[in-house]
Amino acid sequence: MACVYIPVQNTLEEVKVVLDQLPRDAADILDILKAEQAPLHLWLTFAREYFKQGKMKEFLQILEEGSSPEIDEYYQDVKYERIAILNALGAYYTNLGKIELKQREKDEYFMRATHYYNKVSHIDQHEPSTWVGKGQLLLAKGELDQSYSQFKIALEEQKDNIPALLGQACVEFNRGHFQESLNLYKTVLQLHPGCPASVRLGIGLCRYRLGQPKKAREAFNRTLQLDPENVEALVALGIMDLNTNEIEDVHEGMTKMQAAFEIHPFCAMALNHLANHYFFTGDHYIVEQLMDMAFVATDHPRMKAHSFFNLARSHHSKGDYERASVYYRASVNELKDPHDFILPYYGLGQVQLKLGDLKTALSNFEKVLEVHPENCESLKAVGYIFLQQGRLEKALQTFKKATRINPRDVDAWIEMGELLLSSDLVAALDAFNTAHSLLKKGRDPMPTGLLNNIGVLHFERGEFELAQRAFCEALGDGFWRNVTTGLLPGDVPLPAVYGDRDEFFYQLENEGVSLEVPAGKITVIFNLARLFEQQHQSDKAVILYQLILFKHPKYVDAHIRLAAMAQARNNISLSMELVNRALKEDEINADALSFRGNLELRADDWLKAKETLKGIQSMSDGKDSYSTLALGNWNYYAATRGEKKDPKLEATHLEKARELYQKVLVQRPNNLYAANGLGVVLAEKGLFDISKDIFTQVQEAASGNITVQMPDVWINLAHVFVGQGQFGLAVKMYQNCLRRFYFNTETNVLLYLARSHYEAEQWQECKSVLLRAIHLAPSNYMLRFDAAIAMQKFSTATLQKSKRSADEVRQSVSELKNALRLFSQLSGISSQHSHGFDEKKIEMHVEYCKHLLDAAKVHLEAAEREEQQNKQKQELARQAAMAEEARRKAEEERKLQMERRKREEELKRVLEQEEYFERIKETWKVQGREKFHAEDNDGEGGANEKKEKRKEKRKRKKEKRSKEQDSEWEEKDDVEGEPQAGLQNEELEEGAQDALAAAGLLEDSDEEDAMEKEAIPPRRIRRKHAVADSDEEDMGIQDSPAAAIPNKNESDVEVPENRFLEDSEEETFDTSTALEAKKRRISDSESE
Amino acid sequence: MVGERESERAERGQGGGERAKRERERERERESERERKGRERGREGGRMKIASLKTLANAHHDGVWAATWVPAADGRPALLMTGSADESVKLWRADGLELERSNTGHSLGVVAVAAHPAGTMAASTSLDSFVRVFDVESNATLAALETRPSEAWQMQFHPKGELLAVAGGGSASVKLFNTSTWKADAVLLVSKGDVSDIKLSEKTGGKFVLSVAWSLDGKRLACSTMDGTIAIFDVNRGKLLHFLEGHFMPVRSLVFSPTDSRVLFTASDDMHVHMYDTENTTLISAMSGHASWVLSVDVSPDGSAIATGSSDRTVRLWDLKTRASIQTMNDHTDQVWAVTFRPPGGEGVRVGRLASASEDKSISLYDYS
Repeated sequence: MACVYIPVQNTLEEVKVVLDQLPRDAADILDILKAEQAPLHLWLTFAREYFKQGKMKEFLQILEEGSSPEIDEYYQDVKYERIAILNALGAYYTNLGKIELKQREKDEYFMRATHYYNKVSHIDQHEPSTWVGKGQLLLAKGELDQSYSQFKIALEEQKDNIPALLGQACVEFNRGHFQESLNLYKTVLQLHPGCPASVRLGIGLCRYRLGQPKKAREAFNRTLQLDPENVEALVALGIMDLNTNEIEDVHEGMTKMQAAFEIHPFCAMALNHLANHYFFTGDHYIVEQLMDMAFVATDHPRMKAHSFFNLARSHHSKGDYERASVYYRASVNELKDPHDFILPYYGLGQVQLKLGDLKTALSNFEKVLEVHPENCESLKAVGYIFLQQGRLEKALQTFKKATRINPRDVDAWIEMGELLLSSDLVAALDAFNTAHSLLKKGRDPMPTGLLNNIGVLHFERGEFELAQRAFCEALGDGFWRNVTTGLLPGDVPLPAVYGDRDEFFYQLENEGVSLEVPAGKITVIFNLARLFEQQHQSDKAVILYQLILFKHPKYVDAHIRLAAMAQARNNISLSMELVNRALKEDEINADALSFRGNLELRADDWLKAKETLKGIQSMSDGKDSYSTLALGNWNYYAATRGEKKDPKLEATHLEKARELYQKVLVQRPNNLYAANGLGVVLAEKGLFDISKDIFTQVQEAASGNITVQMPDVWINLAHVFVGQGQFGLAVKMYQNCLRRFYFNTETNVLLYLARSHYEAEQWQECKSVLLRAIHLAPSNYMLRFDAAIAMQKFSTATLQKSKRSADEVRQSVSELKNALRLFSQLSGISSQHSHGFDEKKIEMHVEYCKHLLDAAKVHLEAAEREEQQNKQKQELARQAAMAEEARRKAEEERKLQMERRKREEELKRVLEQEEYFERIKETWKVQGREKFHAEDNDGEGGANEKKEKRKEKRKRKKEKRSKEQDSEWEEKDDVEGEPQAGLQNEELEEGAQDALAAAGLLEDSDEEDAMEKEAIPPRRIRRKHAVADSDEEDMGIQDSPAAAIPNKNESDVEVPENRFLEDSEEETFDTSTALEAKKRRISDSESE
Repeated sequence: MVGERESERAERGQGGGERAKRERERERERESERERKGRERGREGGRMKIASLKTLANAHHDGVWAATWVPAADGRPALLMTGSADESVKLWRADGLELERSNTGHSLGVVAVAAHPAGTMAASTSLDSFVRVFDVESNATLAALETRPSEAWQMQFHPKGELLAVAGGGSASVKLFNTSTWKADAVLLVSKGDVSDIKLSEKTGGKFVLSVAWSLDGKRLACSTMDGTIAIFDVNRGKLLHFLEGHFMPVRSLVFSPTDSRVLFTASDDMHVHMYDTENTTLISAMSGHASWVLSVDVSPDGSAIATGSSDRTVRLWDLKTRASIQTMNDHTDQVWAVTFRPPGGEGVRVGRLASASEDKSISLYDYS
């Protein structure tokens, strides 16, 4: 039993104080100490004893008393003890300051400590322990450099001052100079081999930090040898074991941790590590207990943060997000700097995300990213938050970064792909495919949603095979595989039942075929069915839709698709039945209701359609743009509906339609259909330029998107061209449209095409287009009527031509016969059925054709005569030409002969002369030489002269000859020219007469026939007049023969409208698949 | 989160072996399936196939609307007969598609051609509603049957050749002409009541009769209309037996199986080819795949395949065992108005031939094997 003896003053007696039984009140001791004037070292001893027993107050009391001025005075000589007391106080406050969290008090403690140290310095400047103390203080304050210099001073005073050495080692360690620190520790060990185990601990830590785990381990082990209860060493060893990640070592590590725990249950580090372990083993209860203990054990903020984190994590994994969030926050609050310990921020972010607090979650993840800018998980979380907040661009950037950092992160690729869906389908598909191949490589389970999305994207790009592969992969095995191959078990082809197939399914189930449709696969099956539908494999599509409905009758979209397919096959009653079935499942399904409205419109059930559409409007607060659009169309149809036209009503309907279209455009500025509708209304009002602009823009937009099929806008644009008289352009536009969208099967467009030709007076083209149309739609007698008109027009036009061949006339006569035949046949029919023509009108045409035919006979005769004459003329001309040729030849011959003769004569003459000359020469030879010369000259000159003369003569002859020829030609011209001119004149007169007759006939037969070109509007106005004036029978269509064609002009915008309704219907459904896919995806991520 | 990852990994580690096993199993399954498919394909490949032999561009001056084979006769091989919008009927020799003769005489386009089973005479119809019957050898007109407008559309001779059935268009009837007297033997109405029932509504074209087909034994006659109605007649009793349901759009072509008198194939604007049992009026199969109207259908002489022509510009071959499209030909650039298999018979003609005619003015010949 340790005792302290206080010597009693002036005696040899001593007061024995048992250290274990120190009086509770330090004042008692102090009294004794003071009274006996005990040596100062005893004061210290007592203070230390109180300290050891945790009685801080008493400790302080003694030391403060011991450092009071009186004592200083009294013990003035006792330097060392006084210094020790002050140093002890300084060290105490240093420690307090180190532990204290609140900055103000911390500063105060440090100030006090400084105060004591300064006091010491007054007593003795050279005392090393003071310097050491100061060093410690500065170390605690974090002023490493200054503290280092303090320790240095201490060492200068005393080379082997161990505390100073240790202090320096500590500074170096904190500075990260592990090698230097290690050296210092080594020095200490050399100086003082028996030093406490903690020095070896320091060595171990340095070694550890220097990356020498083996030596570190040796050091720790040595520490434990020396001090088997050294918790730090145990924990350090434990951590090292745990970090090896080897199962055995981890186990070993855990035992060490447990040992540490048993030795000192309040070592927070060990507790935290233990908790960490139990967290992974899932023993959340133990985690909580350990952490409770840890909180008691430590005030160290970082340790506490760890403990809170462990607790929070435990709650987090249990799904108790509220409490997890509380603890995470507590953990975060313990930390001054996220750099110290980042995990709780991440955890907090996650929990807040789960709790829907996006903003704070975001700030926490951003803190994580500040510390670890390349942390993929946080990047993804941040990206997800951006996505949720609708900041798509930022979200995209974040995910891009995440995939760049970790190109193997499947989730990031998937998220990125989804983000790209709205902007860049190609890139989205790439992202999905990357994710897909990563998963495949990793042999990880493939999420159905991903495959579905890949499939949908391929689908939208028209890559049907790839799409099918993706969908099939997503679906795996099941009955759908039979459907895909088209063969039921046992290689039986799929049966063809169009209506209800439940029977068939029951039968299959009875045969043991599993028809289960897991909820997660409905969407994929639906999409696969859509794919088959797109590829026109409707049998497979139908059976898949029906399979879905067999198991999930509430899947309205499948009902609607089936209805749409029935509608496409013109099976309206079945279609209606299916829609009604869908509505039975879901009364307020806007899609189904829209579809019903559309069907009713098709069935000419105007009022019902309007009611249905209005119903959707009121349900959706007018936000449903499809029904708004459809109502716009409704009004438009109502405005242009044929028979009973009221200009006032027409105007109101048009105005209403315009309003509705514009409303849609306000809601959705990109709605092509509404823009198109607006263009139509404007065109209807005659504002061709504006409507043309609109149509052109819509057309551009529609051609840029392969999923949009919008022939209407092409047709409308062509209509505008027709309206503006640009028939060539219109024809091109119609033809392109027919080819591009209708496989050349749409008779209405053919009719428009024919009309453009008609307007351009291209009768033959018009007729041929109409014949094609008749071939496509033989039951449309109107087409025959139009064709007859075209033929009649052709004939009239040909006969009116001032110049035409007999062949042309003959052709026009045969056309006329065809027309007549068609007209008379139509008149026969129209008495039997109502085909929408007026019998009288046809009769009139029949009569007209007959007249024309009679007239044409004259024409034909004339033409034939003319032809005959022409032939004769030609013959004559030919003969004349031949005669002339012969004559010319003869003449030439003659001339040649003459010339020859002349030449011969001349030659003869020359010869004669020569002979003569020879003869003379003979005589001259006899005469004198000079004479000969002269004669010779003369002779030569004479010959020359003669030659010249001859030349001249020839020239003149030539001239004469050419003159002769010229005049001959002239003559010929005269001969041919005159009769011809006469003939032409005759002919012209005749032609003019005929033309007059024809024109007269035209006017006679049909005043408002409007056969001749007239602008469209006046014609329409006149017709209205007719209706208004005379309340005759239905004048609507059969009004005039030409009206049959202009009538198209009216129907023109009507028919395409019909179409466009369908299209927009389809459009909604297509997007619905995409939406579907997206929805699916979101639900996936939710389930994650 | 870190924890979750960790535990996940652990789970994966455990599940790895099992999954690998599953993977292997699946692999094996797939392999066996591949094998099976391969075998099937091998079988099919050996059975039927068409291959383009020749495409004659500009065979006519305008779209070719009709085509049929004139059976071999008197040592003359079978000829391909085509009718066109250019108002001519042309006869071609296979396999070179050399022009044998060009017949004129129609005004407006030729919509249908038909050949007598004996191969001696043939008939052609044009939009002006004349049916011209002529001698194949001499092109002498044997008869000119005039009908009311568009009361003559497709035609077919009775398998024995005694009658010519003419689809009566707007008259909603089929007319049967006696091939020796050229008098109308009978008129079969596409209605169970009387004429007044028939109304031609503008939208569907009503009961405008487009096409006719004789059954193999000549006892049954089928006709199709614009509104998709298909009527089956008992010819001997002159009675309408029943309608076949399923089409709601024009059926432009139909043909009986040459091997089973009950089976009828119909091609419709609804992009489908239907296969009916005409006796119990059931729809056996609805074959889809064309992207637009199916304009023409014909059965191979062996009855195991059908060919279809469509306005989607393709010719398709269908296997009747699997009822699936097995081949798609793209020789044409516009609507394919007619497909026709060459009937067997004639000297040295053992190989199968298929011909197609198109709006693009061309005709194509294929080898069928």
